[in-house]
Amino acid sequence: MTRAPRSFDGFCTRVWKALGAGGLAFLLAPGLAFACALPPSVILTLPTGHYITAAALTVALTAIMGVAVHRLPVMAPRQVWERRVLLPLSLTSYLSFLAFLGLVFIGLYGDRDPMHNLMTLVFWTGVWIAVPLGSMLLGNLWRSLSPWTGPVRIARTLLGRTGSIGLARLGHWPAVAGYAGFVWFQMVSLYPDDPAVLAKVALTYWAVIFLLAVLEGEDWLETGEFLTVLFSFIAKVAPLWHVTEGPRTRLMRGWPGSQVLAMPPLSASAVVFVSLALAALTFDGLAETFWWQALIGENPLEPTGRSAVMWVNTAGLLAIWVLTLGLILGAILLGRRIGGGFATGPVMLSFLAIAAGYHAAHYLVMLLTAGQYTLAALNDPLMTGDSWLGLPPFFVSFGFLTDPRVMPVIYGLQFAAILGAHLLAVLLGLKLAGQGARPLAHLPMTVLMVGYTVLGLWLLSTARTG
Amino acid sequence: MTNGLLHPTRRGLLMAGGAGLLTAALPGYVAAQAAPVKIGFQLHRTGIGAAYGRWYERTAQAALKAINDAGGIAGRPVEILFEDDATDPKRGSEVVDKLTQSDGCDLVMGTLFSHVVMGSAPRAGELKVPYLVCSEGYHVASGALNRWTLQPGITDVRAQISTMAPWVAANLGKKVTMVFPDYAFGHDHRDFFTAAIQAQGGEVVAQIAVPPTETSFTRYFPQIPAETEVLYHVMVGPAVLTFVKELGEFYGTGAKPALFGFIDSLEAVDTATPGLEFLEGSHFWEAHPRVKAADAGEHEGHYRAAVGVDDNGASVSDAADVSTYSHMFSTWETLYFIKQAMEASGYTGPADRQKLVEAMEAITDLPYGIERPQGAKRFNGKTHQVFGAQHISQVQGGKLVKVHTTTIDEGMYEDAVDYTTMYF
Repeated sequence: MTRAPRSFDGFCTRVWKALGAGGLAFLLAPGLAFACALPPSVILTLPTGHYITAAALTVALTAIMGVAVHRLPVMAPRQVWERRVLLPLSLTSYLSFLAFLGLVFIGLYGDRDPMHNLMTLVFWTGVWIAVPLGSMLLGNLWRSLSPWTGPVRIARTLLGRTGSIGLARLGHWPAVAGYAGFVWFQMVSLYPDDPAVLAKVALTYWAVIFLLAVLEGEDWLETGEFLTVLFSFIAKVAPLWHVTEGPRTRLMRGWPGSQVLAMPPLSASAVVFVSLALAALTFDGLAETFWWQALIGENPLEPTGRSAVMWVNTAGLLAIWVLTLGLILGAILLGRRIGGGFATGPVMLSFLAIAAGYHAAHYLVMLLTAGQYTLAALNDPLMTGDSWLGLPPFFVSFGFLTDPRVMPVIYGLQFAAILGAHLLAVLLGLKLAGQGARPLAHLPMTVLMVGYTVLGLWLLSTARTG
Repeated sequence: MTNGLLHPTRRGLLMAGGAGLLTAALPGYVAAQAAPVKIGFQLHRTGIGAAYGRWYERTAQAALKAINDAGGIAGRPVEILFEDDATDPKRGSEVVDKLTQSDGCDLVMGTLFSHVVMGSAPRAGELKVPYLVCSEGYHVASGALNRWTLQPGITDVRAQISTMAPWVAANLGKKVTMVFPDYAFGHDHRDFFTAAIQAQGGEVVAQIAVPPTETSFTRYFPQIPAETEVLYHVMVGPAVLTFVKELGEFYGTGAKPALFGFIDSLEAVDTATPGLEFLEGSHFWEAHPRVKAADAGEHEGHYRAAVGVDDNGASVSDAADVSTYSHMFSTWETLYFIKQAMEASGYTGPADRQKLVEAMEAITDLPYGIERPQGAKRFNGKTHQVFGAQHISQVQGGKLVKVHTTTIDEGMYEDAVDYTTMYF
């Protein structure tokens, strides 16, 4: 979806005005308090304040130097090799669809314990974390794993359907709606881990998307289905990726972000989608902080549980989304006003790097903990005491969470992901701001980037309930 | 030719062999025919209680295996249906409902977090299903719950705290300053210990309540009176390591009061963790010593092996993965309590639930054995609460070494309720 940057002006101005006029309304709920079992945090004993300061200075200096030097590294992609496509997309997608049906069946009829049920485990650690993390390194893995492409292609062929119903005109808005619903389900609803609940939600969502894609055509998935959109965006930072045309595929390499520079400017709906990705990750971290718990009147040492904070967290999530979108568009508008250039569609592409970095940093610990349960469940899927993968008894182990030798390394990786993402975003922003942008135009965005770096690292290092 | 043992015929051998096979297969056939006892387990699998939930499940699975290997309950095999309550009271109530109504469980057990107990127990009362909690809260014995809710596997926090006072007064000092988080958990310590130390002729010279949102404590330390002989601390949560580090910095290498804490602060945390050096020589309450004591009972080793825990209280698969040793035994002991009561009452199915609760209320002495690896206990049928001996351990070379065991009587207090007079 491409649109002239001009079309953004009205949209941005409307959003900005709405923000200014409406302000932010928080609903505060009274909290109850009972018992406690939060593990101690090694991270709290580290000098994270120094790390955060250093990261903020690095981002600021990079932006200043980038503007001053006027000579940025060339980020041209190179071809590594070309070969035939080994497994057709229809086949891998169809196999993925069969696996999905298997997971839904396990979710509905398998073990009720979410940490023994492959529906919960494969979705939250595999699809939601491992696939995007892998995609950040190796290019868009979801393209082959999507459970829709194959079935939609088959269904349309069988039905002899070639037309569409005009969904493409909606741009990314269907994906925005789907993603917003998913984020609420994940972060606010009561039982996103319940295998049966997750299976029913996943099956319903699959069926709706399948139906729409059969009516509209499989290409619509790339703008209308949120997982497809999100993972393809995140995969744009990968240093390796495939370009497939017909029966041939080329493996490409390039600096992270090379693919981003080749993208068309983001449409208004895609801009909102990216802002939601950033806001969701921010809120997921924020909602667990002692700061947020205190704000909503919960005792962070014994929070009541999700049922007590559904409405306030719904309001919080919406507020963070509006704030994120408002700040980004505000920085872009301000930059344009004081320095020229800075069209929203192209500049917004630089935030894809941040979405990717945050996803990696935010979910790393979850991958290392819940991921063990996934391996254990795959090791003994029938719960008969077997060891298909050869894992020892009592394989699941969380000792590293309170180990002062391990946790600084994990924080270091998260630190690198956040800082790296922001440096890349600054670099992309400098390239995407356009020739017409004077150095001063970068100032608001640089301030925002520095602020966002500090926030991202603070979220990972402050006292949290999870 | 005569038939007999010395000269068996082929036909006779075949018949005898067949009869033997039948006899050997009979118990298995009967067991397979007997419907399993179904126990619903309200598990903190996700949410804030997940760190405890993992070990509660592991211990319950070990006890389940041990019970089934020994013939189950009254000859019936036993099943546990684990259902995640997300450590949420609303979900907890729904879980009790689901386990009872949809899954047909005979009873429900396993809850640790007090707010989930408080949210779920009323529903258990409405459904008239026995609800056996493993939370150590005083809420059961205080009379706040109902006839269907019992705590037979772990001593409550009031008794735990009270038993510490005689030893602290006699060995560490009588002028105590308490540092505690400013909410219900900390208030229990403040109230019960203050009363208990006064009964020993001691006094609490200062009560320093720290807001739960606090993550740095340096500014509270100057409030500790100079006359303090014992610093009683029960800080919990992510900032515990910070608390110990800052306390160490405050006192430096100079004179300091004796430190006494509750292991809740460092449950599932290695006491040899760098940064905790300041705790060397200090004392902790433990319900069940995580480091195997030199005089540990004969069943201690078997219990540890069954749960997969080594002599330091860590997982056999990872020495850094320290268990919630002072709490998780409660699920093991609760399962054996269920077995005892079901067998005593002749329980056959949900229609006998009232009879089952009455049988539980009739239980008093619970001797030490593989059924109770933490130690002998005394069950009070009127208050639905069990009482057991507690332990005090000292950090020596980074390890918790048991130095004292209380008596059960030291933790007993006057009944606040008689559930047996209430209607079912």
